[in-house]
Amino acid sequence: MRTASQLSLAVLALVVFSASAAQAQTNNATIQATATVQSPINVVGFQPLAFGNIFPGINKLVDPSDLTNAGRFDVTGQASTAVTLSFTLPAALTGPGAPLPIGAYQAIRADDAAQTTNAFFFGPGASNAATLSGAGALHVWVGATVTPPTNQAAGLYTGTITMTVVY
Amino acid sequence: MKLISWLAVGASVLGAAVPPPVRAQGRPLTVTGVRGITFGAVLPGVPRVIPRTDPANSGQLDIRGPNQIQVLLTFILPLTMTGPAGALMPLTFSSADAGYSQSQSIASQVGFDPRQPFTATLSNNGRGSVFVGATASPAANQRAGAYTATITLTVTVLP
Repeated sequence: MRTASQLSLAVLALVVFSASAAQAQTNNATIQATATVQSPINVVGFQPLAFGNIFPGINKLVDPSDLTNAGRFDVTGQASTAVTLSFTLPAALTGPGAPLPIGAYQAIRADDAAQTTNAFFFGPGASNAATLSGAGALHVWVGATVTPPTNQAAGLYTGTITMTVVY
Repeated sequence: MKLISWLAVGASVLGAAVPPPVRAQGRPLTVTGVRGITFGAVLPGVPRVIPRTDPANSGQLDIRGPNQIQVLLTFILPLTMTGPAGALMPLTFSSADAGYSQSQSIASQVGFDPRQPFTATLSNNGRGSVFVGATASPAANQRAGAYTATITLTVTVLP
């Protein structure tokens, strides 16, 4: 009887050992994935490209250095970071008469709104490189020339200029 | 003497009923997170890829256990990273974003899909390392700030 009791204890001990060994056969650990997202780009159309009054048969230029009449976009984003500007530029303005041709686009970009810091002329197109200022700002002015024919109908003509900015 | 005989029979019967304890009696299985996946500074709208072979930025987990034992590697992978005010940023893992190395060298990995369980064999000295890469895809209007996610690797000894 005493022998049987000892045998039971021995078997129990072996079972317990096997169970704990099985538990030790799985383990896990974790690591982290980390990222720091920088400031998103924000673009605002600050002022339109305004030709004012024009006359049939007389071309009119608005230079991008014209702080009053050149179209202006303001960009904010991550400081001192390269960006790419791309433009969609209309070939004509629409109004009451035939489309009014517009072209010879020019642009200026600068760190400040007075075109005094890091100001550069460039031809606006599908891909223009630029860099945001140390404060994360960029200003872009767009100028162009309208060429109304002599029979251009009188009235208000408009078009849309789009500038897209990506990192 | 009679008692010893009975014990021997009992042990033999148990040995046939459960997996051989030899593997379990060796070095205990441990898994250690060595290095996280580090994307660093990412720009809104610009995806950032960290390959598993990137020695500085890929994730690494080390495994120790019985020599030459087969283990099953299973990941729990987050779909997003969480940032400021609960903002989420997509995090993706491709079919080649994980690698296993018996020698624990990032230069000698066997690639595998971290989205599927993978069977690996520990080295002659019971070691192995898992390397992980991923892609973070911030939206163009992704909220600025720090983002984190937790990746879990479960290692199971195969019978």
